[in-house]
Amino acid sequence: MKLATFRGGVHPYDGKEFSKDKPIKKYMPKGTMVYPVSQHIGAPAVPVVKKNDEVLMGQIIAEAGGFVSSNIISSVSGKVKAVEPRLLPSGAKVNSIIIENDGNYTPVEGLGQKRDYTKMSKQEIIDAVKAAGIVGLGGAGFPTHVKLMPKDPNAIDYVIVNGAECEPYLTSDYRAMLEMPERLIEGLKIMLSLFDNAKGVIAIENNKPEAIAKLTEMVANEEKIEVCPCQTKYPQGGERNLIYAVTGRKINSKKLPADAGCIVDNVDTVVAIQMAISESTPLMRRIFTVTGAGINEPGNFEVKIGTSYAELIEEAGGLKEGVQKVISGGPMMGFALSTLDVPVVKTSSAMTCMLEDEVARYKESPCIRCGRCIHACPSHLVPQMMMDAAEKVDLEVFQALNGMECYECGSCTYACPAHRPLTQAFKQMRQAVMAERRKQQQK
Amino acid sequence: MNFNLSSSPHVRGADSTRSIMYDVCIALLPATAFGIYRFGLYSLLVLLVSIGFAILSEYAYQNITKQEVLISDGSALLTGLLLGLNMPPHIPLWVPALGSMFAVIVVKQFFGGLGRNFMNPALGGRCFLLISFTTLMSDFSIDATTTATPLATLAAGGHVDRAAMFVGFTTGTIGEVSALALLMGGIYLLVKKIITWEIPVCYIVSFAICVGLFGGQGFDSKFIIAHLCGGGLMLGAWFMATDYVTSPITKNGKILFGILLGILTCVFRIFGPAAEGVSYAIIICNLLVPLIEKVTMPKAFGLEDVKKEKPVKEAAAAVEEAPAKEAAPAAKISMAVYKAAMNLCVITLVAGLLLGVVYQVTKGPIKQAEIAAQAEAFKAVCPDADSFDEAPDLFAKAADVEGKYGSVVVDSAYKALDASGAECGCVVNVTTKEGFGGEIQVSVGFDAEGVVTGIEFLSINETAGLGMNATEESWRAQYAGKAVDEYEVVKGGASADNQIDAISGATITSKAVTGAVNTALALVKAAQ
Repeated sequence: MKLATFRGGVHPYDGKEFSKDKPIKKYMPKGTMVYPVSQHIGAPAVPVVKKNDEVLMGQIIAEAGGFVSSNIISSVSGKVKAVEPRLLPSGAKVNSIIIENDGNYTPVEGLGQKRDYTKMSKQEIIDAVKAAGIVGLGGAGFPTHVKLMPKDPNAIDYVIVNGAECEPYLTSDYRAMLEMPERLIEGLKIMLSLFDNAKGVIAIENNKPEAIAKLTEMVANEEKIEVCPCQTKYPQGGERNLIYAVTGRKINSKKLPADAGCIVDNVDTVVAIQMAISESTPLMRRIFTVTGAGINEPGNFEVKIGTSYAELIEEAGGLKEGVQKVISGGPMMGFALSTLDVPVVKTSSAMTCMLEDEVARYKESPCIRCGRCIHACPSHLVPQMMMDAAEKVDLEVFQALNGMECYECGSCTYACPAHRPLTQAFKQMRQAVMAERRKQQQK
Repeated sequence: MNFNLSSSPHVRGADSTRSIMYDVCIALLPATAFGIYRFGLYSLLVLLVSIGFAILSEYAYQNITKQEVLISDGSALLTGLLLGLNMPPHIPLWVPALGSMFAVIVVKQFFGGLGRNFMNPALGGRCFLLISFTTLMSDFSIDATTTATPLATLAAGGHVDRAAMFVGFTTGTIGEVSALALLMGGIYLLVKKIITWEIPVCYIVSFAICVGLFGGQGFDSKFIIAHLCGGGLMLGAWFMATDYVTSPITKNGKILFGILLGILTCVFRIFGPAAEGVSYAIIICNLLVPLIEKVTMPKAFGLEDVKKEKPVKEAAAAVEEAPAKEAAPAAKISMAVYKAAMNLCVITLVAGLLLGVVYQVTKGPIKQAEIAAQAEAFKAVCPDADSFDEAPDLFAKAADVEGKYGSVVVDSAYKALDASGAECGCVVNVTTKEGFGGEIQVSVGFDAEGVVTGIEFLSINETAGLGMNATEESWRAQYAGKAVDEYEVVKGGASADNQIDAISGATITSKAVTGAVNTALALVKAAQ
């Protein structure tokens, strides 16, 4: 069978063997919990608790600050210690609610109550997803309830579960597919109930044959759900690339998946929808991989959002001697951490501990125009020329080269034999362009 | 704890500039090794000098201009190796040294160093040497024997051994002779993904098609294969045209680049004055790269159709809004791309053809002047003649008689015309390699009946007092005026018409000259 895929991409060392066979372990936090009000794309949430308030597990502590925003839920019970700026894994400093965990996990009323989604109206389901504070857990953090409300729900013919997990080292989605497939399939059915004309597709890279086999078997009798094996290639799980691989449709940066009749959600997000609807449990946890050559006992954990990274390092046996770099996320798109004193947020998927930092080993040298960046770019851009524009900080040329179509996957930088910081420069350029556009709008 | 901080991605691919350069050098090893095996250790010395001076020049320039010294990236090594492989095997060593300095300092460093040069440094160096020291650069003699390269023979209408050309037992520059070894290297580059198929394949295919169309021999596979294996085509297609810096980076650009190269090379080879055309074709196309890239920009993912859709709406709007000049700009852009690409092809073709036409037009007069200059020499062997003209029909039979009388080659053949312009005989120039002191060039004159009227030596290097006596009028005269089919050397006095008395103490010379005359005679008889 021909595997679904896209043109471009690279094949970095996938590093999945560190943690792929480690079952998900539930981890209960010990220290104080930190809940930043901005863990998603869109407006920050507005805190509804203040210092010294008592909160319950599952209680909304910050409410969505707009349509494209999301509630923040306390994952423990305890007392609000402070509301103050704290560092996020991404390096941003964001106002956060700090809660002293009392260790009792006293639930709010109705938490965990079983519900039958078939008896709920579409609006009830969407409202419940919104209340549960669910956002895309794959990394982007786009509020899920917004995704579930496209202009024309009848035009949606694909609900795609993104199980590609193309980012090297990460195994959280893989473990979730193996260990909680019932939740995943039910979550997908809940989503399908919102779109009458849609069929469900679970897209999985073929480096996860066990997950493909298991889910294929389980959906054998599901008329509207199928499993789509994809070629193992980074960034197969990039939204635009995955839509193309599964449906052959193309979208650009100005379009939403819904414009191509698609709703795409990450595995853990679909599980979160199932928990929110069927078990009245808002988003308080996520699956998190601690991995890399630099950690003693790599593993997959179900952690409460708000838990400190430092605690998870300890739980995974501690860092090895001489670790050079710790990344929140995977090595292709993750953030290098300056400190482990950051909380797990909704979009944190992993922590990768590198004994050796490859970036430090290489020195940048002149471009030899080999064209590998063009070959690697999943957006079919010309990074070599974009870099010329970036070096001259020429925003116009950068945009004319469709630089804003870049989604910073890092493939060009990975492929560059001269080790030029292409993606890094494009990030700055894209921010500069967006800032410029905002300025224009304000005028 | 202190962690390293940097922006993602945090991993890098295995290849580096240096590993790529070394991989190309590895791919060149079979051709290099064959060149050294074929031409001897002196050619290794040529290669070492050219590599050494390339690296030294880079080191010196970067030191003097206080830049970071980057000789370890392997690019100077590769430039030196490529230039060396483009050298005739017995070139004086100062030539590659000068060429390397020019390539690295002028072509590469003056324009900003690695990645900034606008033409292939090795080819820039080669073309500089070709223009400055034409004779040295086109002397492909082996063991002090002048031999035409297979391409020169082809251009002159002669016959070549294709199998020898494929394996490499011919003459040419050190690195270009073995198509087989170069092909092996090319496949290595493809497998290692150092290069992609577009440039070499499009180059070779478009060249083959052009040779078929314009080569004057139709799609004769033998002729085309000879052209593919001959000269610098394989070296150029796999190793020079694919130079990253000076070839387009876009996929379609590579295809267009390859096609233009094929056309230009063919035009240069078929219509141009030189047998070779690869080097000039590549450096000219190098100059077209920015233009090629401009017209072959890939379309961004998800934006492919945007340009196609727009014109429909806007064109409709334009109709309503009366003459809007900017209607459907997107359509214009995509049309402009094709137009520009077509224009490029046409310009290349026209420029090349113009060059060819100029050559063709001037070729006749130039040849006439040459013939006039030689006429005096020819009159010595063909006293009745008034003027001479080329005799292609006669020359075409050369292959039939060559080798019949030892190692003899027919160099040229001319018709002798009397004062009224009627044909009154012919002159055949032959070279034998069987002389005691190497080659002997003989000019043999015939009358209209095919009887030898006289012979003259164009070049001879026999032993003084022995073999050199062949030039004595008395000995040469033995050949004249005898209506025979073949001469025979005898010792101690000739008794029959067809017998030539050997020069005493110089039987080898006598036999060599007689073999040469016999060859010329056989050619004339064959044409009768």
